[in-house]
Amino acid sequence: MRLLNVKQRPQPPRIACCRVDFSRPWRVETCPTQATHVSNFGVSLLYKVVRLISLFTVLMNVHFGSTAQGLTPTHPTLAAQSSINSADTAWVLTSTALVLLMTLPGIALFYGGMIRRKNVINTLASVVAIAALVTLLWFAVGYSLAFTPGNLWLGGTDRLWFAGLDYLKDSGQVAVSHIAPNLPESVFAMFQLSFAIITAALIVGAVVERMLFSALLWFIGLWSVLVYAPIAHWVWEPGGWLAQMGVLDFAGGSVVHINAGVTGLVCAYVLGPRKGYGLEPFQPFNLGLTMVGAGLLWVGWFGFNAGSALAADGRAGLAMAVTQIAAAAGAFFWMLGEWVVRGRPSLLGLCSGLVAGLVAITPAAGFVTPRSALLIGAVAGLACYWGTTGLKRLLNADDSLDVFGVHGIGGIVGSLLTGVLANKSISGMPSSLTAQLTGVAIVVIYSGLMSALLMWLTRVWTGLRVDDASEQTGLDISLHREQLGT
Amino acid sequence: MSSSEKIALAARMHVLLRRKTGRVTDTEWMASNAEYAAEIVRFSHDYAATENHPDLAELADKLSCLMLPPPQSRPTYKKPDLIPVSQGLIRYVKGLR
Repeated sequence: MRLLNVKQRPQPPRIACCRVDFSRPWRVETCPTQATHVSNFGVSLLYKVVRLISLFTVLMNVHFGSTAQGLTPTHPTLAAQSSINSADTAWVLTSTALVLLMTLPGIALFYGGMIRRKNVINTLASVVAIAALVTLLWFAVGYSLAFTPGNLWLGGTDRLWFAGLDYLKDSGQVAVSHIAPNLPESVFAMFQLSFAIITAALIVGAVVERMLFSALLWFIGLWSVLVYAPIAHWVWEPGGWLAQMGVLDFAGGSVVHINAGVTGLVCAYVLGPRKGYGLEPFQPFNLGLTMVGAGLLWVGWFGFNAGSALAADGRAGLAMAVTQIAAAAGAFFWMLGEWVVRGRPSLLGLCSGLVAGLVAITPAAGFVTPRSALLIGAVAGLACYWGTTGLKRLLNADDSLDVFGVHGIGGIVGSLLTGVLANKSISGMPSSLTAQLTGVAIVVIYSGLMSALLMWLTRVWTGLRVDDASEQTGLDISLHREQLGT
Repeated sequence: MSSSEKIALAARMHVLLRRKTGRVTDTEWMASNAEYAAEIVRFSHDYAATENHPDLAELADKLSCLMLPPPQSRPTYKKPDLIPVSQGLIRYVKGLR
C-alpha cells in the first residue's frame, strides 16, 4: 500500500476544541462552525447506541424467550410455567424422595447392620452428617459447578447459592435447566442433589470403624466439590467432555458407583486395616437391619434409574422394568455362586447380590432391553461376588464393607456392558465400547488420584485415624459418647 | 495340670506296670515326652484288654488325657480363612462375604 503524504491524506473532522455533550450528541453549543462534524458524530453515536440496544434485545430474547419460541436452550433460563410438564415434575419429585430414602435410612441401615456393634452409631451418624454437609455444599457451589454450562471440564458460577432458581408468580415464569426444560430447575437440582448425597454416603462403607469423624467430614466436603461435581459435569452436562465423547451413563454407573468404589478403595489403602483384621472375626451387628436397608435400596432404585429419565414416559417405564430384572438376577446369581463355593447361601449374599445387580444396570437402564438386563444382572452378581472375595484378597485392602467390590466392580461391569448391549432404537444414540472404556478409565484415574490427594490433605489438616484405644473401645463411645441400648 | 501332678501320675503308672506286667519304665521321661507317654498308653490298653485289668486301662486313660493333645476338629467350611471359634462363629475373618 502506497503511503499518502500529509497533504493527500483525508483530514479527520476537528472536534477536539469542542465540548461534546454525550447526553445530547446532536448538539454542541461551543463550536457552531463544527456543527456538521458534531452532527455526524452524533448520528454515528446514535447509530452505535441503537445497534447496542438491538443486540441487547436479541440477547435478552434468546435468554428469556427461546423456550417459548421453541428453541432448545443451552443454559439455564426462565420459561413460562405453562411449558412445565406436570406429570414429569411429579414423577421427578417422587424420585427425589425415593433416592433420598435410599440414603436415609437405606444405606445407613445396610451398613449399620454389617458393622460391629460398637461402631453402629458412628456409622449411622456418618451417613446423616454427610447428607447434611453435601446438601449445603451442593446449594452453595456443587450444583453450579456440575450442571451449568462452563467449559468442557467444569460448570460456571451462574447458580452459586442456587441463584436464579426462580419461581415468579407475577410474571408466570419459572427457572428451567437446559438439561430438563420440562421440569422446574429446583426439582432438577434437588434430584441431582440426592445423587450427590448417596454417592458420598457410599464411601462410608470403606472407612468405618477407624476414621476420625472430623476427618471424614473434611474429606467428603472437599471430595464432593472437587471430585463428584467435575465428574458429574463431564458425563451429564451436555458440554462436558465425556458426554461429548459419547460416553453413555444413564443414571450414574461411573459418576456414582465407580467413583465411590474407587474412592473407597483408595481411602481403605491410605487408612490401613482395622486392628485385628484377618485375625479375628468381625461379627455383623444385625443382618436383619442390612436386609431392611437392602429393601429400601431396591425400591428406592426405581427413583434412581426410572427417575433419571427425567420424565414420566416410556423410557422411565423401561428403566423400572430392567432395574427390577437386574436386581433379581444379581441376587439369584450371587446366591448360586456362594452356594457352589461355600456350600450354602446367605442373607448377606442375597442382599449384596441384589445391590450388585442394581449397580450394574444403573448406567444402562435407559438404553437396554429387558433380556440384556438379565445378562447384566447375572454377570454383575458373579463378578461382584468375586470382587468381594477373591479380588479383595488380591487387593489386600481392608475395604470394610466392600464398597469397591460391589459398587466399583458393579459399576465397571455395567458401564462396559452398556457399550456392548445398548440398543440404538431405545437410546437414540450410538454406543461404543471404546468410549465406555475411556470413560471408565478416566473416572477411575481421576477419582483415585484426587481421593489420594484429598486424603493426604486431610491427614495433614486433622489426622485420619482414631487412636488404638478408641478403636478398641469402639467409635460409638470414643467419638460420640453414645451407645446402643442393652 | 502341673508338672508335679504329671510326675505323680507317671509314677503310679510305673508302679502298676511293674506289678502287672513286669516292665520297667522311665517315670520322668513319661511325664515329659508325649511320644513315650503315647506308647505307654497304647501298651497299657493292649495289656488291659488282653489280660483284663480295668484299673490299668483307667490309669492309661488318665495319662492319655494329661499327656496327649486332643484330636483336631475338622473345619466345617471349605474356605481356608474361616477359622473355627469356640462360640460357633466361623465366618467374618478377613471379609464379610
